[in-house]
Amino acid sequence: MRSLRILLVEDERKVAKALQEGLEAESYSIAVAHSGEEGFFRVSSEPFDLAVLDIMLPGRSGIEMLSAARRQGIKIPVLLLTAKDTVEDRVLGLDAGADDYLVKPFAFPELCARIRALLRRGKGTPILNLEIGDLQVDLVTRIVTRGVRRLELTTKEFELLEYLLRHQGHVVSREMLAREVWKMSVRHTPLDNVIDVHMVRLRRKVDEGFSKKLIHTVRGVGFLMKAEK
Amino acid sequence: MIKHLRPQSVRTRLTLWYVAVLAGALLIYGASTAVLLIFQLRSQLDHRAVEDIETIKGLLSFSPDGKLLFRSNYQDRSYPTKMLDPLMEVLTENGTLLYRNELLGNRSLGGSLQPGEMSGAYLVRSILLSDGMRVRLLSKQYILEGRPTLIRLGFSEESLWQRSREVVIGLLAGLLPVLVFAGLGGYFLARRALGPIERMARRVRDINAERLSARLDVENRHDELGFLASTFNDTLGRLERSFDQLRRFTSDASHELRTPLTAIRSVGEVGLQKAGTAEDYREVIGSMLEESVRLTSLVDSLLTIARADAGQIKPQCTTITVLPFAREVVSLLEVLAEEKGQSLSIDGNDTVQVEADGAILRQVLTNLLDNAIKYSRTGGQIAVRIIVSADDKTVAIEVEDNGPGIPTPHRDKIFDRFYRVDEGRSREAGGNGLGLAIAKWGAEVHGGELELLCPTDSGCVFRLVLPKAGAINGRDPSVATTYA
Repeated sequence: MRSLRILLVEDERKVAKALQEGLEAESYSIAVAHSGEEGFFRVSSEPFDLAVLDIMLPGRSGIEMLSAARRQGIKIPVLLLTAKDTVEDRVLGLDAGADDYLVKPFAFPELCARIRALLRRGKGTPILNLEIGDLQVDLVTRIVTRGVRRLELTTKEFELLEYLLRHQGHVVSREMLAREVWKMSVRHTPLDNVIDVHMVRLRRKVDEGFSKKLIHTVRGVGFLMKAEK
Repeated sequence: MIKHLRPQSVRTRLTLWYVAVLAGALLIYGASTAVLLIFQLRSQLDHRAVEDIETIKGLLSFSPDGKLLFRSNYQDRSYPTKMLDPLMEVLTENGTLLYRNELLGNRSLGGSLQPGEMSGAYLVRSILLSDGMRVRLLSKQYILEGRPTLIRLGFSEESLWQRSREVVIGLLAGLLPVLVFAGLGGYFLARRALGPIERMARRVRDINAERLSARLDVENRHDELGFLASTFNDTLGRLERSFDQLRRFTSDASHELRTPLTAIRSVGEVGLQKAGTAEDYREVIGSMLEESVRLTSLVDSLLTIARADAGQIKPQCTTITVLPFAREVVSLLEVLAEEKGQSLSIDGNDTVQVEADGAILRQVLTNLLDNAIKYSRTGGQIAVRIIVSADDKTVAIEVEDNGPGIPTPHRDKIFDRFYRVDEGRSREAGGNGLGLAIAKWGAEVHGGELELLCPTDSGCVFRLVLPKAGAINGRDPSVATTYA
């Protein structure tokens, strides 16, 4: 299978380079454009599976570029990066034809998760079971077992585990958890503490007494669910 | 081009407008006078013409061979309109000329027959003769000795036009000095009226960011200019206050931002100084990322405050039942209290409602509760109470802890931005010094208030007071509870 091609339009070269390297490590093939004009030229002349677009670009803004591309009938999913997060800005972006947006500064794992979600869009079939290593989660009966032991989880812990499992192999940031599991749109510190406490408890139930740990902390970034070889 | 010709000063523009309006009014007045005069003189002329035509009719007769006879001896009767010798033409019913007097010479008076001329009624119109002479023409058909005959009588209108021209010229001649006088007067008045504005402008020009304390002199508080000056002074006052606030806020914010930045920098520099293992580098990068997360949260809070200051956050109010709403926040933060072995209770009126923005109210309650948990000792007690005031107009949400309390000197400043009672400990606990400032703003934006009550030296109570939803409907003593 060929690797998926992503166009990254970002004028800040340092950020562009970091994102390019990070996304290439996720085995996407990345093309970088540093201005709206260049981005528009490439998106209208080459096939891409997705575009990541900064709003504040020199010359032609990301929004203008996006509207122009949409007018040309380019239908690929577009993820906007924006430094402003007022409601008007979001509406403007989504109206111009963006599929999703992310506010700077963002956590890199979140960018990856959004890209995966956009690429997956419309092709998903409902998942009824999740598993990793010897951990089994039945999403219908909500029964969680590890090996032969059955784990008793609270509702929050179950939701947390489900989210981690759906993103297994990828790092999940606290911001993603706050938004997706706790449904909080505002970022603030108390929630980070709350997430940490729940995570400690979940980890105690899932990993305590087992030699192979499934939940890992990535310092300064977030959490990772992965079965060690 | 026109734009460049536009006079720059209001004073000149006012004067020009004034003069133009006056000139316009006078011109309209003059023109209507002239028109009225013409109409009046014409109607006098018409009267005379009717008299004359009747006289002339009596002087006409036909000879037996059909020739028209005109007894012109009427001139001997010292006719009063002698000076207005009429022009005269007599025609048959099919337009053949029977008589034309010497005054007309070979000019035709009115040309061929006009429709209606042979109806027997008086017909009056103004015409131009072939040599350009303006003439008032009266015609009437008579039956003279059995033959229908048309008599046309014309009077020159030249003297009439002459008189109206004279009137107009007279008026115009008077117009110029009047306008000059009015212009001078207007200029003087405008200058007097605008003088104080110029003085104000000069004074305002000297006011800059460093001298915001200066104020304008108010000469008379009750006239328009006094109102302008005092409005301006109020604006200056607000500007001065917000400048002060901004200055303090900027310096505090820079200080706060510098702390995590310093950490990032020094951790990075030290990490690079010596070669380490991959694990060492991971440690260094992780630590830098943690600081950047703290930085992000600080910037988010600063943005919230900046937007609140700019009035950009408009609460999206809905009706919220307080107890279940607060219970939700409590259950969110419960785990934090559990970790510290604290008991967290909530009770109170379970039907009372407020009109509030859910997201803002949640943030306020979260901040208050988080503070209480953070600063209470392990095993302490935290209580949330929802109380309706005695007059049933407001709802108080109290968050009480039995922690160390807040020492008296700090109590006034506790809601200030970046103010901390114990700097080291607060930072340790992850606080950024903005939680209570944001909470206070959140209370005020709903028309409520946030206050700190410290009944004893141990523990404190933060009380959030919000207007009760539907409070206008009057009191309902059955649900009213008094709070201290």
